[in-house]
Amino acid sequence: MSTSAGAGAAGRTVRVVIVDDHAIFRSGLKADLDPSVVVVGEAGTVEQAVEVIAAARPDVVLLDVHLPGGRGGGGREVITGSAALLGTTRFLALSVSDAAEDVVAVIRAGARGYVTKTISGAEITDAVFRVAGGDAVFSPRLAGFVLDAFGTAPADIADDELDRLSARELEVMRLIARGYSYKEVAKELFISIKTVETHVSAVLRKLQLSSRHELTKWAAERRLL
Amino acid sequence: MTTAPVRTPLVRSSDRVIAGVCSGLAVHLGWPVRMVRIGMVVAAFAGGAGLAFYAWLWIMVPTADENAKRNARRPASPIAPAVSLPPVSLQPGPAAAVVPFPPSVPPPVGEYDAGTASQAPSPAAAPGSGTWFRIRSMRYGKEILLGAGLLLVAAILIARLLGVEVPLGTLIPAAAILGGAAIAWMQLDETRRAGLVDKTKADQAGGWARLAAGLALVVAGVLVMVSGSGSWQQTWLALLASVAVLGGVALVLLPWGLKFWRDLETERAGRVRETERAEIAAHLHDSVLQTLALIQRRAGNEHDVVRLARAQERELRGWLFKDPARDAGQLSDRIKAAAAEVEDGLGNAVDVVTVGDTEMTEGHEALVQASREAMLNAARHGGGPVSVYLEVSDGGAEVFVKDRGPGFELNSVPHDRLGVRESIIGRMKRHGGNAAINSSPDGTEVRLRLPADVADNGEGKS
Repeated sequence: MSTSAGAGAAGRTVRVVIVDDHAIFRSGLKADLDPSVVVVGEAGTVEQAVEVIAAARPDVVLLDVHLPGGRGGGGREVITGSAALLGTTRFLALSVSDAAEDVVAVIRAGARGYVTKTISGAEITDAVFRVAGGDAVFSPRLAGFVLDAFGTAPADIADDELDRLSARELEVMRLIARGYSYKEVAKELFISIKTVETHVSAVLRKLQLSSRHELTKWAAERRLL
Repeated sequence: MTTAPVRTPLVRSSDRVIAGVCSGLAVHLGWPVRMVRIGMVVAAFAGGAGLAFYAWLWIMVPTADENAKRNARRPASPIAPAVSLPPVSLQPGPAAAVVPFPPSVPPPVGEYDAGTASQAPSPAAAPGSGTWFRIRSMRYGKEILLGAGLLLVAAILIARLLGVEVPLGTLIPAAAILGGAAIAWMQLDETRRAGLVDKTKADQAGGWARLAAGLALVVAGVLVMVSGSGSWQQTWLALLASVAVLGGVALVLLPWGLKFWRDLETERAGRVRETERAEIAAHLHDSVLQTLALIQRRAGNEHDVVRLARAQERELRGWLFKDPARDAGQLSDRIKAAAAEVEDGLGNAVDVVTVGDTEMTEGHEALVQASREAMLNAARHGGGPVSVYLEVSDGGAEVFVKDRGPGFELNSVPHDRLGVRESIIGRMKRHGGNAAINSSPDGTEVRLRLPADVADNGEGKS
């Protein structure tokens, strides 16, 4: 995802709220972000986050998975607390955690993507624009989780089957897991970037709605059901 | 060996007839266990002194397991074994009774009473022919006690048939009291071993039931004995009175007991927390603090700082998120280890994503080696971060190594450079797999594939 979505260059700006309990990380992230990304608020706890998001109504919330406060639900609780805004405000999960259940928990709560905290400012900027545009952002690791949960065997199924990935979606996920950017995926599969984004969004929807055993197990362990 | 300068600690042995008191005592004193047992039985007839002594030791002396646990909790000093070992190991000759570490080693009592029966001061009046008791493990202990009890009952019945007057009115309540007390106390012994307040213990309910049964037996026995096998009415009255007294006492003592219990619980929880904290602190000290110190000293060198930070992050992640139930040494672990090695050596970030996993075989070993070579090349020539993706499915294992370097032309690689041709392509072919290299100015991707059937066959070959 090193290629820019191009939206930033077109002069469009995106309003974001940064939610993370480490002030050092917040200021570092703010300095790293492109000028086209305007930080309109910051929060360090679940309660603050819900309040700030409701007041600022940003386009995108950069949300840490692990947060103090609330009932201990972390980032997931912020999303459920801001459920009324889910149509206009989109959430992008940031995490240092490698644990699949943490990531899957925020995705299933409604986040549009997940990136690790170690990626560069340019990559985060790109991801913010992508999420603001309604697309899903998958890191290689999240793609790996998806392949683990849904299985890697290609299925001969219609695209709207929730518990399985179509052959094309599997191909896209596999390329993302291998470290390909959306542009490279499009080139490799001879399809347009828009089609790649459609496939990724479809996978995200399945990840959020599927009742597949592995996913429901994760969800049950996190008391999401 | 009778004047051993170092006595082994007094613990109840696992080689036991009732509670392991006699054999434990024998090991501690260095006497033959048979002597101790006979002595105990003889003392039991001397006004019950032996029984009292036995019971006292039973309650006060920990079992070998308990003792080992207690010792293990002590902070281990690295010097301690070196200091305490020599006097014990200097003991020459037949020092069978002086075991260096009795908590972990079962005492070699067996050789003392080989051939002869070991007598037991059993409350169930052990019969004369003690050959049954040569079964030294408690595996059949309950059955033996039951059998002895039944024999006793049979003997009494026969005696009655033969016209001998047996004071049943005293004997039955006495037996009930003894049996009930034994059941209750055995329960105490067991729960003490399992941890008195361990609520998660699955057999805890059974333990309570046994305790209640023992108590009921004792109460009934005492009642019958006190009321002198009188009418039911008298017994009921006595029962009512005793229950009233017991209730009153319980009412007074309950708050004290509850408070004591709660204090105990708090203290236990505190101790557990303290242990956990100490373990985490020790780990952080050994890893993170050391790395931070190193980073401060190398603050000028960005390359070193990044490398140290990555290595530390990897180590901490492994410690935090690793599933202890999963056995190590799987293919994904090996690939991650190879990536870590490359990352440490060259300083490029190597991100590994794995899907599925499998046991290592010889073919997989070649796959790991080829992957490692590909990662080294990617880090060396690509310059930037390296992405590694491992996928294991029913069809086989695949590894993809991708960098974003300037790329290269395979045919333009000089023939004396063996890295790509030999270590990657040749190695995979030799093991029945294949390798493909896809290079463009946007980056290079090495694809390694090892079919599942080849990987399985490779296991048998040497």
